[in-house]
Amino acid sequence: MSYNESTLDGLVTPTKIHRSVYTDPEIFDLEMERVWGKAWIFIGHESQVPEPGDYTTLNLGKVPVVMVRDKEHKVHVLHNRCGHKGAKLVDKRCGRIGGFRCCYHGWTYRLDGKLLGVPNIKGYEGTGFDKDDPQYSMQKLARYDSHRGFVFATLDADAPNLRTWLGGAGDVLDNLCDRSPEGEVEVAGGILRYEHDCNWKMFIENLNDTMHPMIVHRSVVDAANEYIKTLPEDSPHRDEAEIIPPFGASYENFEATGITGFRYGHHYDGGKSSIHADYSVDPDYETAMIASYGKERTREILTFNTHNTLYYPSLTIKSAIQNIRIVRPVAVDKCVIETWSFRLKGAPDSLLQRTILYSRLINSNGSMVGPDDHTAYFRMQEGLRSQASDWVEMHRNYGTDKDLGDRWTNTGTSDLDMRSQYGAWRHYMLGEAS
Amino acid sequence: MTDRNDYLNRIRTIEEFLYEEASYLDRPDLDKWIELYTEDGTYWMPATEDQEDPVNHISLFYDDRVMMEIRRRNFVHPRAASKDYTVRCSHIISNVRIEEESDGGLIVTSNFQCVMYYHDKQTLYAGRYRHELVDIDGQYKIRHKRVDLINCDGVHGSIIIYV
Repeated sequence: MSYNESTLDGLVTPTKIHRSVYTDPEIFDLEMERVWGKAWIFIGHESQVPEPGDYTTLNLGKVPVVMVRDKEHKVHVLHNRCGHKGAKLVDKRCGRIGGFRCCYHGWTYRLDGKLLGVPNIKGYEGTGFDKDDPQYSMQKLARYDSHRGFVFATLDADAPNLRTWLGGAGDVLDNLCDRSPEGEVEVAGGILRYEHDCNWKMFIENLNDTMHPMIVHRSVVDAANEYIKTLPEDSPHRDEAEIIPPFGASYENFEATGITGFRYGHHYDGGKSSIHADYSVDPDYETAMIASYGKERTREILTFNTHNTLYYPSLTIKSAIQNIRIVRPVAVDKCVIETWSFRLKGAPDSLLQRTILYSRLINSNGSMVGPDDHTAYFRMQEGLRSQASDWVEMHRNYGTDKDLGDRWTNTGTSDLDMRSQYGAWRHYMLGEAS
Repeated sequence: MTDRNDYLNRIRTIEEFLYEEASYLDRPDLDKWIELYTEDGTYWMPATEDQEDPVNHISLFYDDRVMMEIRRRNFVHPRAASKDYTVRCSHIISNVRIEEESDGGLIVTSNFQCVMYYHDKQTLYAGRYRHELVDIDGQYKIRHKRVDLINCDGVHGSIIIYV
Protein backbone atom coordinates (compact mmCIF):
# COMPACT_ATOMS: atom_id res chain seq x y z
CA MET A 1 0.00 0.00 0.00
CA SER A 2 1.01 3.62 -0.30
CA TYR A 3 0.84 5.49 2.96
CA ASN A 4 -0.70 8.91 3.47
CA GLU A 5 -0.93 11.04 6.61
CA SER A 6 -4.14 9.39 7.71
CA THR A 7 -2.95 5.77 7.29
CA LEU A 8 0.38 6.59 8.97
CA ASP A 9 -1.50 8.27 11.80
CA GLY A 10 -3.39 5.05 12.52
CA LEU A 11 -0.23 2.95 12.93
CA VAL A 12 0.81 4.23 16.34
CA THR A 13 -1.48 4.97 19.27
CA PRO A 14 -0.35 5.85 22.82
CA THR A 15 -0.58 2.18 23.82
CA LYS A 16 0.03 0.14 20.66
CA ILE A 17 2.00 -0.08 17.45
CA HIS A 18 0.84 -1.67 14.21
CA ARG A 19 3.02 -4.64 13.22
CA SER A 20 3.66 -3.14 9.77
CA VAL A 21 5.85 -0.51 11.49
CA TYR A 22 8.34 -3.36 11.92
CA THR A 23 7.65 -5.43 8.81
CA ASP A 24 6.69 -3.23 5.85
CA PRO A 25 9.59 -2.24 3.54
CA GLU A 26 7.64 0.85 2.50
CA ILE A 27 7.56 2.08 6.11
CA PHE A 28 11.30 1.40 6.30
CA ASP A 29 11.89 3.58 3.23
CA LEU A 30 9.71 6.32 4.70
CA GLU A 31 11.64 6.13 7.98
CA MET A 32 14.93 6.50 6.16
CA GLU A 33 13.57 9.61 4.48
CA ARG A 34 11.69 11.18 7.37
CA VAL A 35 13.26 9.93 10.63
CA TRP A 36 16.85 9.36 9.51
CA GLY A 37 16.61 12.24 7.06
CA LYS A 38 15.48 14.75 9.68
CA ALA A 39 16.93 13.78 13.08
CA TRP A 40 20.51 14.53 14.11
CA ILE A 41 22.46 11.33 13.40
CA PHE A 42 25.70 10.37 15.17
CA ILE A 43 28.55 10.49 12.65
CA GLY A 44 31.66 9.83 14.71
CA HIS A 45 34.05 11.30 17.23
CA GLU A 46 36.60 14.01 16.52
CA SER A 47 39.36 11.82 18.00
CA GLN A 48 38.97 9.52 14.97
CA VAL A 49 40.21 12.26 12.66
CA PRO A 50 43.00 13.95 14.65
CA GLU A 51 45.02 15.25 11.65
CA PRO A 52 44.10 17.09 8.43
CA GLY A 53 43.12 14.55 5.77
CA ASP A 54 41.92 11.94 8.28
CA TYR A 55 38.49 10.62 7.37
CA THR A 56 35.89 8.02 8.35
CA THR A 57 32.99 6.84 6.21
CA LEU A 58 29.50 5.61 7.04
CA ASN A 59 25.96 5.47 5.75
CA LEU A 60 23.57 7.97 7.28
CA GLY A 61 20.39 5.95 6.79
CA LYS A 62 21.00 5.00 3.16
CA VAL A 63 23.17 8.03 2.33
CA PRO A 64 26.96 7.53 2.03
CA VAL A 65 28.80 10.26 3.92
CA VAL A 66 32.36 11.03 4.96
CA MET A 67 33.63 12.84 8.05
CA VAL A 68 36.93 14.58 7.27
CA ARG A 69 39.27 17.10 8.90
CA ASP A 70 40.43 19.90 6.60
CA LYS A 71 43.73 21.83 6.50
CA GLU A 72 42.35 24.43 8.95
CA HIS A 73 41.58 21.54 11.34
CA LYS A 74 37.84 21.98 10.87
CA VAL A 75 35.76 18.77 10.76
CA HIS A 76 33.27 18.47 7.89
CA VAL A 77 30.55 15.97 7.09
CA LEU A 78 30.19 15.63 3.32
CA HIS A 79 28.19 13.51 0.93
CA ASN A 80 30.59 10.79 -0.24
CA ARG A 81 29.82 11.28 -3.93
CA CYS A 82 31.75 12.63 -6.88
CA GLY A 83 30.15 15.70 -8.48
CA HIS A 84 30.70 14.14 -11.89
CA LYS A 85 29.04 10.72 -12.18
CA GLY A 86 28.39 9.99 -8.53
CA ALA A 87 31.08 7.43 -7.61
CA LYS A 88 31.88 7.23 -3.91
CA LEU A 89 35.12 9.18 -3.47
CA VAL A 90 36.49 7.17 -0.55
CA ASP A 91 35.45 3.62 0.18
CA LYS A 92 37.49 2.51 3.17
CA ARG A 93 36.16 2.71 6.72
CA CYS A 94 38.86 5.23 7.57
CA GLY A 95 42.12 6.58 6.23
CA ARG A 96 44.24 9.65 5.54
CA ILE A 97 44.31 11.56 2.25
CA GLY A 98 45.84 14.79 0.91
CA GLY A 99 42.60 15.54 -0.89
CA PHE A 100 39.78 13.59 -2.54
CA ARG A 101 40.41 12.07 -5.97
CA CYS A 102 37.75 10.12 -7.83
CA CYS A 103 38.81 6.63 -8.92
CA TYR A 104 36.89 6.97 -12.20
CA HIS A 105 37.83 10.17 -14.13
CA GLY A 106 40.22 11.67 -11.62
CA TRP A 107 38.23 14.71 -10.49
CA THR A 108 39.93 16.12 -7.41
CA TYR A 109 38.51 17.94 -4.38
CA ARG A 110 39.87 19.86 -1.40
CA LEU A 111 39.40 18.37 2.06
CA ASP A 112 36.42 20.70 2.60
CA GLY A 113 34.83 19.28 -0.56
CA LYS A 114 35.51 22.11 -3.04
CA LEU A 115 36.12 20.86 -6.58
CA LEU A 116 39.76 21.52 -7.54
CA GLY A 117 40.57 19.77 -10.77
CA VAL A 118 38.84 18.25 -13.81
CA PRO A 119 41.22 16.39 -16.19
CA ASN A 120 41.30 17.56 -19.82
CA ILE A 121 38.91 20.37 -18.97
CA LYS A 122 39.02 21.90 -22.46
CA GLY A 123 36.19 19.60 -23.57
CA TYR A 124 33.90 21.56 -21.25
CA GLU A 125 34.66 24.97 -22.82
CA GLY A 126 31.52 26.70 -24.01
CA THR A 127 29.22 23.94 -22.68
CA GLY A 128 27.81 25.86 -19.74
CA PHE A 129 29.73 23.68 -17.27
CA ASP A 130 31.48 25.81 -14.64
CA LYS A 131 34.04 24.10 -12.42
CA ASP A 132 33.54 26.80 -9.78
CA ASP A 133 29.78 26.28 -9.62
CA PRO A 134 29.26 24.81 -6.10
CA GLN A 135 26.85 22.17 -7.44
CA TYR A 136 29.87 20.24 -8.83
CA SER A 137 31.74 20.25 -5.52
CA MET A 138 31.21 17.59 -2.85
CA GLN A 139 28.05 18.62 -1.03
CA LYS A 140 28.09 19.37 2.68
CA LEU A 141 25.35 17.83 4.79
CA ALA A 142 22.63 20.36 5.58
CA ARG A 143 23.89 20.80 9.16
CA TYR A 144 26.69 19.33 11.22
CA ASP A 145 27.95 20.17 14.67
CA SER A 146 29.69 18.55 17.59
CA HIS A 147 29.18 18.32 21.33
CA ARG A 148 32.22 17.39 23.49
CA GLY A 149 33.83 15.84 20.39
CA PHE A 150 30.74 13.82 19.36
CA VAL A 151 29.91 14.78 15.77
CA PHE A 152 26.30 14.72 14.60
CA ALA A 153 24.81 15.70 11.26
CA THR A 154 21.36 16.09 9.80
CA LEU A 155 20.02 16.20 6.26
CA ASP A 156 17.35 18.69 7.44
CA ALA A 157 18.33 22.36 7.13
CA ASP A 158 15.40 23.28 9.41
CA ALA A 159 16.37 20.97 12.29
CA PRO A 160 16.70 22.58 15.74
CA ASN A 161 20.30 23.22 16.77
CA LEU A 162 22.18 20.25 18.21
CA ARG A 163 22.19 21.47 21.84
CA THR A 164 18.42 22.07 21.77
CA TRP A 165 17.87 18.66 20.18
CA LEU A 166 19.99 16.89 22.82
CA GLY A 167 18.07 18.68 25.58
CA GLY A 168 18.37 17.32 29.12
CA ALA A 169 19.52 13.96 27.72
CA GLY A 170 22.79 15.73 26.84
CA ASP A 171 23.68 15.50 30.56
CA VAL A 172 24.65 11.86 30.00
CA LEU A 173 26.99 12.67 27.12
CA ASP A 174 28.53 15.33 29.37
CA ASN A 175 28.81 12.80 32.18
CA LEU A 176 30.66 10.37 29.90
CA CYS A 177 33.25 13.09 29.15
CA ASP A 178 33.33 14.42 32.73
CA ARG A 179 34.38 10.95 33.89
CA SER A 180 37.77 11.76 32.31
CA PRO A 181 40.08 13.66 34.68
CA GLU A 182 40.82 15.86 31.63
CA GLY A 183 37.17 16.18 30.63
CA GLU A 184 37.84 14.51 27.27
CA VAL A 185 37.37 11.06 25.76
CA GLU A 186 38.79 9.39 22.68
CA VAL A 187 37.74 6.37 20.62
CA ALA A 188 39.98 3.41 21.49
CA GLY A 189 40.23 -0.36 21.35
CA GLY A 190 38.47 -1.21 18.09
CA ILE A 191 34.91 -1.78 16.93
CA LEU A 192 32.53 -4.76 16.99
CA ARG A 193 30.02 -5.11 14.15
CA TYR A 194 27.00 -7.26 14.88
CA GLU A 195 24.41 -8.04 12.22
CA HIS A 196 20.90 -8.29 13.65
CA ASP A 197 18.08 -10.08 11.78
CA CYS A 198 15.49 -7.58 12.92
CA ASN A 199 14.04 -4.15 12.40
CA TRP A 200 16.33 -1.42 13.79
CA LYS A 201 13.68 -0.23 16.26
CA MET A 202 13.60 -3.59 18.08
CA PHE A 203 17.18 -2.97 19.15
CA ILE A 204 16.58 0.53 20.53
CA GLU A 205 13.30 -0.52 22.14
CA ASN A 206 15.22 -3.12 24.15
CA LEU A 207 17.72 -0.66 25.64
CA ASN A 208 15.52 0.53 28.49
CA ASP A 209 13.24 -2.51 28.49
CA THR A 210 13.96 -3.56 32.05
CA MET A 211 11.33 -6.29 32.05
CA HIS A 212 13.57 -8.54 29.93
CA PRO A 213 17.00 -8.94 31.62
CA MET A 214 15.85 -11.33 34.36
CA ILE A 215 14.20 -13.50 31.68
CA VAL A 216 16.54 -13.25 28.70
CA HIS A 217 19.81 -13.15 30.63
CA ARG A 218 18.93 -15.56 33.39
CA SER A 219 20.96 -18.33 31.76
CA VAL A 220 24.26 -16.46 31.83
CA VAL A 221 23.61 -15.12 35.33
CA ASP A 222 22.81 -18.64 36.57
CA ALA A 223 25.89 -20.07 34.85
CA ALA A 224 28.13 -17.37 36.34
CA ASN A 225 26.69 -17.59 39.84
CA GLU A 226 26.75 -21.37 39.79
CA TYR A 227 30.42 -21.40 38.85
CA ILE A 228 31.45 -18.58 41.19
CA LYS A 229 29.93 -20.62 44.05
CA THR A 230 32.39 -23.45 43.36
CA LEU A 231 35.41 -21.14 43.73
CA PRO A 232 37.30 -20.91 47.02
CA GLU A 233 36.40 -17.81 49.06
CA ASP A 234 39.86 -16.27 48.78
CA SER A 235 39.79 -16.36 44.94
CA PRO A 236 41.15 -13.20 43.32
CA HIS A 237 38.70 -10.42 42.40
CA ARG A 238 37.19 -10.72 38.93
CA ASP A 239 35.49 -7.80 37.17
CA GLU A 240 33.28 -10.40 35.45
CA ALA A 241 31.69 -11.12 38.83
CA GLU A 242 30.60 -7.45 39.02
CA ILE A 243 29.47 -7.20 35.40
CA ILE A 244 27.39 -10.34 34.74
CA PRO A 245 25.21 -10.92 37.88
CA PRO A 246 23.41 -7.50 37.81
CA PHE A 247 21.77 -8.61 34.55
CA GLY A 248 19.64 -10.81 36.76
CA ALA A 249 18.54 -7.91 39.00
CA SER A 250 14.97 -8.01 40.28
CA TYR A 251 11.92 -6.13 39.01
CA GLU A 252 12.00 -4.08 42.22
CA ASN A 253 15.58 -3.14 41.51
CA PHE A 254 14.82 -1.92 38.01
CA GLU A 255 11.63 -0.18 39.17
CA ALA A 256 13.69 1.82 41.65
CA THR A 257 16.25 2.99 39.06
CA GLY A 258 13.49 4.85 37.20
CA ILE A 259 13.33 5.99 33.60
CA THR A 260 13.47 9.50 32.18
CA GLY A 261 12.29 10.57 28.73
CA PHE A 262 12.91 13.75 26.73
CA ARG A 263 11.71 15.47 23.56
CA TYR A 264 12.88 13.99 20.24
CA GLY A 265 12.71 10.42 21.58
CA HIS A 266 15.72 10.40 23.91
CA HIS A 267 15.63 8.58 27.24
CA TYR A 268 17.73 6.89 29.89
CA ASP A 269 17.20 4.52 32.76
CA GLY A 270 18.93 4.96 36.07
CA GLY A 271 20.36 8.23 37.35
CA LYS A 272 20.85 7.82 41.07
CA SER A 273 21.49 4.13 40.54
CA SER A 274 21.79 1.55 37.79
CA ILE A 275 23.07 -1.97 37.17
CA HIS A 276 26.54 -0.41 36.92
CA ALA A 277 26.34 1.35 40.30
CA ASP A 278 28.18 -1.22 42.39
CA TYR A 279 31.36 -1.49 40.30
CA SER A 280 34.54 -1.07 42.29
CA VAL A 281 36.53 2.11 41.66
CA ASP A 282 40.27 2.01 40.87
CA PRO A 283 41.85 4.11 43.69
CA ASP A 284 44.32 5.70 41.20
CA TYR A 285 41.37 6.81 39.09
CA GLU A 286 39.61 8.30 42.08
CA THR A 287 42.80 10.18 43.03
CA ALA A 288 43.14 11.56 39.49
CA MET A 289 39.48 12.63 39.45
CA ILE A 290 39.70 14.37 42.84
CA ALA A 291 42.90 16.15 41.74
CA SER A 292 40.99 17.53 38.71
CA TYR A 293 37.54 18.19 40.12
CA GLY A 294 37.73 18.13 43.93
CA LYS A 295 35.89 15.65 46.13
CA GLU A 296 32.37 17.01 45.88
CA ARG A 297 32.29 17.32 42.07
CA THR A 298 33.97 13.90 41.67
CA ARG A 299 31.24 12.36 43.80
CA GLU A 300 28.57 14.10 41.69
CA ILE A 301 30.11 12.82 38.45
CA LEU A 302 30.59 9.23 39.59
CA THR A 303 27.18 8.89 41.24
CA PHE A 304 25.26 10.07 38.17
CA ASN A 305 24.79 6.47 37.25
CA THR A 306 22.74 5.73 34.17
CA HIS A 307 22.47 2.42 32.37
CA ASN A 308 21.54 2.94 28.69
CA THR A 309 20.87 6.34 27.15
CA LEU A 310 19.30 6.62 23.69
CA TYR A 311 19.76 9.61 21.40
CA TYR A 312 16.97 8.68 19.02
CA PRO A 313 17.43 7.11 16.55
CA SER A 314 21.12 6.42 16.02
CA LEU A 315 23.22 6.54 19.17
CA THR A 316 23.08 4.77 22.50
CA ILE A 317 25.67 5.30 25.22
CA LYS A 318 26.68 3.85 28.56
CA SER A 319 28.42 6.70 30.35
CA ALA A 320 29.25 4.58 33.40
CA ILE A 321 31.01 2.03 31.17
CA GLN A 322 32.28 4.35 28.43
CA ASN A 323 31.01 2.36 25.52
CA ILE A 324 28.50 3.29 22.87
CA ARG A 325 26.44 1.36 20.39
CA ILE A 326 25.50 2.74 17.01
CA VAL A 327 22.46 1.74 15.00
CA ARG A 328 22.87 1.18 11.25
CA PRO A 329 19.58 0.22 9.57
CA VAL A 330 20.08 -1.96 6.47
CA ALA A 331 16.59 -3.19 5.50
CA VAL A 332 13.20 -3.54 7.19
CA ASP A 333 14.39 -6.78 8.82
CA LYS A 334 18.13 -6.14 9.09
CA CYS A 335 20.42 -3.76 10.94
CA VAL A 336 24.02 -3.67 12.07
CA ILE A 337 24.87 -2.64 15.62
CA GLU A 338 28.38 -1.34 16.19
CA THR A 339 30.01 -1.26 19.63
CA TRP A 340 32.75 1.32 20.24
CA SER A 341 34.82 1.89 23.36
CA PHE A 342 36.20 5.16 24.73
CA ARG A 343 39.33 5.97 26.69
CA LEU A 344 38.92 8.53 29.46
CA LYS A 345 41.91 10.82 28.93
CA GLY A 346 44.05 11.04 32.06
CA ALA A 347 42.53 7.88 33.62
CA PRO A 348 44.52 4.72 34.42
CA ASP A 349 44.54 1.92 31.79
CA SER A 350 42.29 -0.19 34.01
CA LEU A 351 39.29 1.94 32.97
CA LEU A 352 39.62 1.22 29.24
CA GLN A 353 40.34 -2.40 30.09
CA ARG A 354 37.07 -2.65 31.96
CA THR A 355 35.24 -1.02 29.04
CA ILE A 356 36.76 -3.59 26.68
CA LEU A 357 35.91 -6.44 29.05
CA TYR A 358 32.32 -5.20 29.33
CA SER A 359 31.90 -4.87 25.56
CA ARG A 360 33.29 -8.37 25.07
CA LEU A 361 31.19 -9.97 27.82
CA ILE A 362 27.94 -8.23 26.98
CA ASN A 363 27.94 -6.85 23.43
CA SER A 364 30.21 -9.17 21.44
CA ASN A 365 28.84 -11.53 18.79
CA GLY A 366 30.57 -14.25 20.80
CA SER A 367 29.21 -13.17 24.19
CA MET A 368 26.57 -14.92 26.29
CA VAL A 369 24.35 -11.81 26.50
CA GLY A 370 24.01 -10.23 23.02
CA PRO A 371 23.00 -13.48 21.27
CA ASP A 372 20.08 -14.03 23.70
CA ASP A 373 18.80 -10.48 23.03
CA HIS A 374 19.26 -11.08 19.31
CA THR A 375 17.20 -14.27 19.55
CA ALA A 376 14.28 -12.35 21.06
CA TYR A 377 14.54 -9.76 18.26
CA PHE A 378 14.50 -12.21 15.35
CA ARG A 379 11.68 -14.17 16.94
CA MET A 380 9.64 -10.95 17.09
CA GLN A 381 10.55 -10.18 13.49
CA GLU A 382 9.32 -13.64 12.44
CA GLY A 383 6.33 -13.73 14.81
CA LEU A 384 5.00 -10.41 13.54
CA ARG A 385 4.35 -12.01 10.15
CA SER A 386 1.35 -13.56 11.85
CA GLN A 387 -1.96 -11.84 11.31
CA ALA A 388 -3.29 -13.19 14.62
CA SER A 389 -3.14 -9.61 15.82
CA ASP A 390 -2.04 -6.48 14.04
CA TRP A 391 -0.77 -4.89 17.24
CA VAL A 392 2.27 -4.75 19.49
CA GLU A 393 1.33 -3.37 22.89
CA MET A 394 3.02 -0.84 25.18
CA HIS A 395 0.58 -0.28 28.04
CA ARG A 396 2.93 -0.59 31.04
CA ASN A 397 2.16 2.29 33.42
CA TYR A 398 0.34 4.21 30.69
CA GLY A 399 -1.26 7.39 31.95
CA THR A 400 1.12 7.78 34.90
CA ASP A 401 4.19 9.38 33.28
CA LYS A 402 5.13 12.40 35.41
CA ASP A 403 5.53 15.57 33.36
CA LEU A 404 8.40 17.66 34.74
CA GLY A 405 8.34 20.23 31.95
CA ASP A 406 11.47 19.36 29.99
CA ARG A 407 11.25 15.63 30.77
CA TRP A 408 8.98 12.80 31.82
CA THR A 409 9.70 10.18 34.46
CA ASN A 410 8.17 6.95 35.59
CA THR A 411 9.06 3.68 37.26
CA GLY A 412 11.99 1.88 35.59
CA THR A 413 9.82 -0.97 34.37
CA SER A 414 7.32 1.29 32.57
CA ASP A 415 6.96 1.63 28.80
CA LEU A 416 7.83 5.32 29.05
CA ASP A 417 10.80 4.67 26.74
CA MET A 418 8.49 3.27 24.05
CA ARG A 419 6.07 6.19 24.42
CA SER A 420 8.99 8.59 24.17
CA GLN A 421 10.34 6.91 21.01
CA TYR A 422 6.97 6.78 19.29
CA GLY A 423 6.31 10.42 20.17
CA ALA A 424 9.44 11.18 18.16
CA TRP A 425 8.46 8.73 15.43
CA ARG A 426 5.15 10.57 15.00
CA HIS A 427 7.01 13.90 15.12
CA TYR A 428 9.29 12.92 12.24
CA MET A 429 6.85 10.81 10.22
CA LEU A 430 3.78 13.04 10.62
CA GLY A 431 5.22 16.44 11.51
CA GLU A 432 3.67 16.46 15.00
CA ALA A 433 5.26 18.53 17.78
CA SER A 434 7.75 16.43 19.77
CA MET B 1 65.82 -39.18 6.05
CA THR B 2 65.23 -40.31 9.63
CA ASP B 3 64.96 -36.67 10.77
CA ARG B 4 62.42 -36.07 8.07
CA ASN B 5 60.42 -39.12 9.11
CA ASP B 6 60.57 -38.05 12.75
CA TYR B 7 59.27 -34.65 11.81
CA LEU B 8 56.41 -36.08 9.77
CA ASN B 9 55.51 -38.47 12.58
CA ARG B 10 55.39 -35.61 15.04
CA ILE B 11 53.25 -33.55 12.70
CA ARG B 12 50.93 -36.54 12.42
CA THR B 13 50.66 -36.79 16.22
CA ILE B 14 49.91 -33.07 16.47
CA GLU B 15 47.33 -33.31 13.71
CA GLU B 16 45.57 -36.10 15.57
CA PHE B 17 45.44 -33.89 18.64
CA LEU B 18 44.02 -30.96 16.64
CA TYR B 19 41.45 -33.28 15.08
CA GLU B 20 40.43 -34.46 18.52
CA GLU B 21 39.93 -30.89 19.69
CA ALA B 22 37.93 -30.10 16.53
CA SER B 23 35.74 -33.17 17.05
CA TYR B 24 34.62 -31.82 20.45
CA LEU B 25 33.55 -28.59 18.74
CA ASP B 26 31.92 -30.44 15.84
CA ARG B 27 29.48 -32.27 18.10
CA PRO B 28 29.79 -30.06 20.27
CA ASP B 29 30.92 -31.32 23.67
CA LEU B 30 32.32 -28.48 25.75
CA ASP B 31 32.88 -30.70 28.81
CA LYS B 32 35.44 -32.73 26.91
CA TRP B 33 36.78 -29.72 25.02
CA ILE B 34 37.67 -27.85 28.22
CA GLU B 35 39.63 -30.84 29.47
CA LEU B 36 42.10 -30.31 26.62
CA TYR B 37 43.13 -26.96 28.10
CA THR B 38 45.63 -26.35 30.88
CA GLU B 39 44.40 -24.70 34.09
CA ASP B 40 45.83 -21.41 32.81
CA GLY B 41 44.58 -22.08 29.27
CA THR B 42 43.02 -19.32 27.16
CA TYR B 43 40.99 -19.09 23.94
CA TRP B 44 41.23 -15.92 21.88
CA MET B 45 39.41 -14.74 18.75
CA PRO B 46 40.71 -11.25 17.88
CA ALA B 47 38.46 -8.67 16.20
CA THR B 48 41.17 -7.18 14.05
CA GLU B 49 44.08 -8.32 11.87
CA ASP B 50 47.42 -8.84 13.62
CA GLN B 51 45.85 -7.83 16.92
CA GLU B 52 48.49 -7.85 19.62
CA ASP B 53 46.44 -7.28 22.70
CA PRO B 54 43.26 -8.92 24.05
CA VAL B 55 43.04 -6.64 27.08
CA ASN B 56 43.21 -3.11 25.65
CA HIS B 57 41.50 -3.96 22.36
CA ILE B 58 38.13 -5.58 21.77
CA SER B 59 37.97 -9.26 20.74
CA LEU B 60 35.14 -11.50 19.64
CA PHE B 61 36.19 -14.04 22.30
CA TYR B 62 38.84 -14.02 25.00
CA ASP B 63 38.11 -16.70 27.59
CA ASP B 64 40.21 -18.16 30.35
CA ARG B 65 39.16 -21.28 32.28
CA VAL B 66 36.73 -19.29 34.41
CA MET B 67 34.87 -17.99 31.36
CA MET B 68 35.06 -21.41 29.71
CA GLU B 69 33.43 -22.92 32.80
CA ILE B 70 30.65 -20.30 32.71
CA ARG B 71 30.17 -20.80 28.97
CA ARG B 72 30.01 -24.57 29.37
CA ARG B 73 27.16 -24.18 31.87
CA ASN B 74 25.44 -21.50 29.80
CA PHE B 75 25.56 -23.67 26.67
CA VAL B 76 23.24 -26.30 28.14
CA HIS B 77 21.05 -23.98 30.26
CA PRO B 78 17.38 -24.69 29.42
CA ARG B 79 16.52 -20.97 29.44
CA ALA B 80 19.27 -19.75 27.10
CA ALA B 81 17.13 -18.75 24.11
CA SER B 82 20.06 -18.52 21.71
CA LYS B 83 21.04 -22.09 22.62
CA ASP B 84 17.56 -23.40 21.78
CA TYR B 85 18.77 -24.36 18.32
CA THR B 86 20.84 -27.30 17.24
CA VAL B 87 24.49 -26.42 16.65
CA ARG B 88 26.48 -28.71 14.36
CA CYS B 89 29.90 -27.94 12.95
CA SER B 90 32.34 -29.47 10.52
CA HIS B 91 35.94 -28.41 11.00
CA ILE B 92 38.62 -29.09 8.39
CA ILE B 93 42.19 -28.42 9.52
CA SER B 94 45.15 -28.32 7.19
CA ASN B 95 48.58 -26.76 6.50
CA VAL B 96 49.75 -27.82 9.95
CA ARG B 97 53.23 -26.53 10.80
CA ILE B 98 55.42 -26.37 13.85
CA GLU B 99 56.34 -22.73 14.22
CA GLU B 100 58.38 -22.92 17.38
CA GLU B 101 59.62 -25.56 19.73
CA SER B 102 61.03 -25.39 23.22
CA ASP B 103 61.37 -27.70 26.21
CA GLY B 104 57.94 -29.17 26.73
CA GLY B 105 56.24 -26.60 24.53
CA LEU B 106 55.22 -26.19 20.91
CA ILE B 107 53.62 -23.50 18.82
CA VAL B 108 51.62 -24.97 15.99
CA THR B 109 49.93 -23.03 13.21
CA SER B 110 47.28 -24.36 10.85
CA ASN B 111 44.57 -23.25 8.47
CA PHE B 112 40.97 -24.13 9.18
CA GLN B 113 37.53 -23.99 7.69
CA CYS B 114 34.52 -24.47 9.90
CA VAL B 115 31.01 -24.79 8.54
CA MET B 116 28.54 -24.10 11.30
CA TYR B 117 24.87 -25.02 11.13
CA TYR B 118 22.77 -22.94 13.51
CA HIS B 119 19.21 -21.61 13.40
CA ASP B 120 18.53 -23.06 9.94
CA LYS B 121 21.56 -21.36 8.47
CA GLN B 122 25.03 -22.52 7.45
CA THR B 123 27.88 -20.11 8.06
CA LEU B 124 31.44 -20.55 6.85
CA TYR B 125 34.24 -19.45 9.16
CA ALA B 126 37.78 -19.65 7.82
CA GLY B 127 41.19 -18.56 8.97
CA ARG B 128 44.28 -19.53 10.86
CA TYR B 129 44.76 -21.29 14.18
CA ARG B 130 47.74 -20.85 16.43
CA HIS B 131 47.96 -23.41 19.22
CA GLU B 132 50.41 -23.19 22.10
CA LEU B 133 50.70 -26.79 23.24
CA VAL B 134 52.41 -28.19 26.29
CA ASP B 135 53.39 -31.80 26.84
CA ILE B 136 52.07 -32.98 30.20
CA ASP B 137 53.01 -36.58 30.97
CA GLY B 138 53.12 -37.49 27.30
CA GLN B 139 49.76 -35.81 26.59
CA TYR B 140 49.32 -32.52 24.78
CA LYS B 141 47.30 -29.77 26.47
CA ILE B 142 46.40 -26.37 25.04
CA ARG B 143 47.79 -23.39 26.89
CA HIS B 144 46.54 -20.91 24.33
CA LYS B 145 44.50 -21.09 21.16
CA ARG B 146 44.29 -18.10 18.86
CA VAL B 147 41.68 -18.04 16.10
CA ASP B 148 42.27 -15.44 13.41
CA LEU B 149 39.20 -15.31 11.17
CA ILE B 150 40.00 -13.92 7.73
CA ASN B 151 36.98 -11.62 8.22
CA CYS B 152 37.77 -10.86 11.88
CA ASP B 153 36.90 -7.17 11.43
CA GLY B 154 33.87 -7.84 9.24
CA VAL B 155 30.19 -7.87 10.15
CA HIS B 156 29.18 -11.07 11.97
CA GLY B 157 25.96 -12.48 13.33
CA SER B 158 25.91 -14.29 16.67
CA ILE B 159 28.92 -16.60 17.00
CA ILE B 160 27.26 -19.16 19.18
CA ILE B 161 30.20 -21.39 20.06
CA TYR B 162 33.98 -21.51 19.92
CA VAL B 163 35.34 -22.02 16.40
